[in-house]
Amino acid sequence: MRLNRRTFLGIAAAVPFMPASRAQRGRGGPQYPIPDSIKALKPMLDGVQPITAAERRARIAKAQSLMHEHKIGALVMEGGTSMFYFTGSRGAGQDPLFVWILPAKGEPSWVASATSTLHPQGDVRTYETDGNPYLRIAQALKDRNVSGPIGMEERVRFSVFDGLRKQSPSLEFVSGDPITIGCRVIKSPAEIALLQRANDITIACYKAVVPTVHDGMDQRELGSNVDAAYAALGVRGDAMVSFGQYTAFPHGSITPQKLKEGDLVLIDDGCSVEGYQSDITRTFIFGKPTARQRQVWDLERKAQDAALAAAKPGATCESVDAAARKVITDAGFGPGYKTPGLPHRTGHGIGLDGHEWTYLVKGNTTKIQPGMCFSNEPTIAIYGEFGVRLEDCMYITDSGARMFTKQSPAIDQPFG
Amino acid sequence: MPQTQTTTDYQQRIAKLQEAMKEFGLQAVVLEPGPAMMYLTGVRWGKSERTFAVVLPAKGDPVWVLPGFEEARARELIHVGNDIRIWQEDESPFARIAQALKDRGVTGKVGIDDSARFFVFDNIRKLAPKLDYVSASQVLKAAGTK
Repeated sequence: MRLNRRTFLGIAAAVPFMPASRAQRGRGGPQYPIPDSIKALKPMLDGVQPITAAERRARIAKAQSLMHEHKIGALVMEGGTSMFYFTGSRGAGQDPLFVWILPAKGEPSWVASATSTLHPQGDVRTYETDGNPYLRIAQALKDRNVSGPIGMEERVRFSVFDGLRKQSPSLEFVSGDPITIGCRVIKSPAEIALLQRANDITIACYKAVVPTVHDGMDQRELGSNVDAAYAALGVRGDAMVSFGQYTAFPHGSITPQKLKEGDLVLIDDGCSVEGYQSDITRTFIFGKPTARQRQVWDLERKAQDAALAAAKPGATCESVDAAARKVITDAGFGPGYKTPGLPHRTGHGIGLDGHEWTYLVKGNTTKIQPGMCFSNEPTIAIYGEFGVRLEDCMYITDSGARMFTKQSPAIDQPFG
Repeated sequence: MPQTQTTTDYQQRIAKLQEAMKEFGLQAVVLEPGPAMMYLTGVRWGKSERTFAVVLPAKGDPVWVLPGFEEARARELIHVGNDIRIWQEDESPFARIAQALKDRGVTGKVGIDDSARFFVFDNIRKLAPKLDYVSASQVLKAAGTK
């Protein structure tokens, strides 16, 4: 469970938030020497196949077909993962305004500042720094004969919507979710291959850092080892690390922690390959587990297994959450989101965003389909004691869900 | 980052915003996490798919809307306002925001943070379609927010 959609926050990385350990390390905290075993890691990016231009064109065709179906005249988006998904361009920061417009019929258009260094290809409409970008957007819509509702990508800023509605008061603006989610929620074999690679790299990273765990270790040191391992493996990634009672906090704590015998260790988060995200959590014992720790860990594993078994094509997303939650509440935890127990949903979609549609949560009656990808991460949080989260991501095939990674077999064996 | 502002400072900033709201005819401002929330309330939070927002009415106390399992962590950061309304994973944060607007007697213009994401605005609008949603940029500027 990552706290946020990392790619999205990339722009706003200056907003500190969580994972707490990362925020602390990023602020001139202590520097730790990199263990030799981590320095010895080699990049794992050989043979990675980026998404092809042909696949992006097929995505655009699908989006246009969904636009006809949903009676949306055009889709408007700013920089971010949806723009990357369709065009291969991430855009830049928020200013100056940089927008991509996909009409239901015809060629897409870019609206960019005359000073933009992004050099998009195709129909590019520039505006002067003191000019009006909304006039350009409105003209692009007019040139494609768009009169129907304009679908706004979910993260377009209110200011952009407001500028556009002032420019074109007769237009109706609606959520672009049926189009963007409709495309992004089903992953192609090429996308699944990239997700697989990101997952493989995260497991390689964790395998390298787990042996560096030692008595008296600060959680930031372990986090620093994770960062170094990802760098050696050739990717960008990071992790939230918690020890002892802090493992109960789903999003960690900034409180400095020293590892001691009998503590649980929790490592969570991932990396990205060609934009595709991994998100894996391992919880394991440092030293010998108590009977209670083992019992709760085993229960957590049963809950994860239950979600995996339930995530079959045709099942609803909420039924997967219910299956995992039942294991936990049947053991006397909860009920519902009450702690000690499972305080959040069982999983999220994953792709170009670390958290994306659709979610394994009560109330979501979306049917699971082949090609969907989810995290599977019921947590058992016992505040004041400890928490256990086992998180692996799964992709849906015709015959059921498959994990990208081998589940953790036991409290003292993080890797299968 | 050193915390140099006190609760009183934030209360004064919000009071100034409330004055500006009256001047501009706004009955409330809705903020997502970002520089305006930071300046007016001191709360730093990351934007994620789980909506975290503050409703600042022209009259009355702020209302915080945030995810249930983040409540403890959020309470440590919130200096201004005791009205904290949580939503659980299967509930709608937008229903909480719409209710907050109603509870504060908002029937007209609502200022939306320029950096708020379309889905946040759109979902509030669906639940409170009669309100008039405008950019909060002028009123926030008048209140000293950069």
